[in-house]
Amino acid sequence: MNLWEYVEDRWDLILFETVQHASMVAQCVLVAAVLGVLVGVATYRRPRPAAVATSIAGVLFTIPSLAMLGLLIPPLGLGVAPSVTAIVLYALLPIIRNTVVGLRGVDATLVDAARGIGMSRRGSLARVELPLAWPVILTGIRVATQLAMGIGAVAAYVSGPGLGEQIFSGLARLGGANAVNSALTGTIGVAILALLFDGCFVLLGRLTTPGLRHG
Amino acid sequence: MTVESAAAKEETTPEPRIGRSWHVILPPLCYLAVAAAMVGYTQAVPLDGIEHGSLNLTFLRRRTWEHVELVFFSTVLVLVVALPLGVLLTRRALRRATPVVLALVNLGQATPAVGLVVLLAVLFTIGFWTAVVALFAYSLLPTLRNTMVGIEQVDPRLVDAGRGIGMSAAGVLFKVELPMAVPVILSGVRTTLVLNVGTAGIAAFIGSGGLGDLITTGVSTQRNLVLITGCVLIAVLALIIDWLGGLAQRYLSPKGLT
Repeated sequence: MNLWEYVEDRWDLILFETVQHASMVAQCVLVAAVLGVLVGVATYRRPRPAAVATSIAGVLFTIPSLAMLGLLIPPLGLGVAPSVTAIVLYALLPIIRNTVVGLRGVDATLVDAARGIGMSRRGSLARVELPLAWPVILTGIRVATQLAMGIGAVAAYVSGPGLGEQIFSGLARLGGANAVNSALTGTIGVAILALLFDGCFVLLGRLTTPGLRHG
Repeated sequence: MTVESAAAKEETTPEPRIGRSWHVILPPLCYLAVAAAMVGYTQAVPLDGIEHGSLNLTFLRRRTWEHVELVFFSTVLVLVVALPLGVLLTRRALRRATPVVLALVNLGQATPAVGLVVLLAVLFTIGFWTAVVALFAYSLLPTLRNTMVGIEQVDPRLVDAGRGIGMSAAGVLFKVELPMAVPVILSGVRTTLVLNVGTAGIAAFIGSGGLGDLITTGVSTQRNLVLITGCVLIAVLALIIDWLGGLAQRYLSPKGLT
C-alpha cells in the first residue's frame, strides 16, 4: 500500500485528526495571545515586572515539551487537559516578549502627542500604542503558532488529540505494514497545517497593518 | 529599521555584559539544587522494584550521560556542516541560493521534531545513532540560517573597507565578517543546543536511551515518581545548557562589538 492509498483509505480519520489538530492549536494560541498581550500590557512600563514576566516565561520555554507534558500528567491526567495547558504555556513566551518589545518600541513622542491632544492613558494605549506595536505582536503570535503545531504533535503521547496520533501509531507499528505511511501522514500533515497557518498570518499581517508596511 | 527586523534583533541581542557575579552564578545553582533535591528525594523514599530499576544512581547517571552525548554529537555534527556551508552560501557566487535555503528552513521548521524522529526510526532502525541523525537533521537548518543571517548582516561598507586596505577575500572573511557574525551565530547555536536537549528526550521513543527513557518508563508503568524525575532532570539539563550557552555568548563574542 503506498502513501496515497493509505491516505485515501483512512481519509475520514485523517481529516478528523487534522481538524482536531488545527482547532486545538488555534484555540490554544488564541488563549495564549489574550493572556500574553494582557501580561505584556500590564508590565511593559515597569522594567522589573516585565523582566520577571519574561524570565519566568523564558524558563518555562526552555523546559523541553516532553518534560512539560510529563510533569502535567500527575496533576491533570492524560488527554486534552495536559496538552492544552502545555501548548498555552509555550505559546506565552514569544507573545509576551514581542508585546513588551513592540510597545516599548513605540516612539515616545507619539505617546506624548496622544496624551497632549487629551487622550487618556488607556485611549493612547488602545488607539496609538497597540496599533503601532501590532506587527511585532503579530510576529510573536505567529512564532507561537509554529511552536504549538510541533508541541501538538508530541501531545499525542499523553493521549492528546490531533495528527500526532498518526505519528505514534506509526511508531507502534514499527516494522509492520503501514508504519512508514502512518508516520509520513502525521509528519507531512502537521507540516502542511503549519505552512497554511503561517500563510494565514502573512495575510492577516497585510490586512491589519495598512500604511505600516514600509516600516 | 522595520518592525520585524527589530523583533529579530531583540532575539539575537547577546546577553548584556554587566551584572554582578551572583547574577550569573545564582540560576545554575538553583537548577542544580532542584535536581539534587529531586534525586535525593528518590533515594530517600522507599521504592518498589520497577522504581528502583529506573531510579538507582548508576542508572540515572548513565541515562544523563547518554542524553548529554546525544546532544553533544548532534550539535558537533551540525556545527561541522552548518558553519562551512553557511560561509560558502554567503559567497558571491552562491548568493542566489539564499532564498532557496530560507524556504527550506521554513519547511524544516514546519516539520514536527517527533515526526522526524519516528520517521527515521521507521525507515531505518531504532537506536542511538538514528536519534543523533534525527537531531542533526532537525537542527541543521536553523543553525545554517543563523550563520547566513549573521554574515549577511555585516555592514557591506566594512567589507569594502577591508578589501580597500588590501586584505584578501579570506582575510576579510576571517578578520571582519566572521568576528562580526559571531553573536548571531552563537545565539543560533545556543537555540540549537536547547532544542536538542528536548528532541533528545523525544528520541527515547526510538530506543536511543537518554533521560526521556525515564519518562516513557514512568508513563508505561504508571510510576509517577519515575516520570517526574525524568522530567525534572531533562528540564534542569536544558536550563543549564541554556545558561552555558548564555555564558558562551557573553565571553566568546568579540569585545567592543556591542
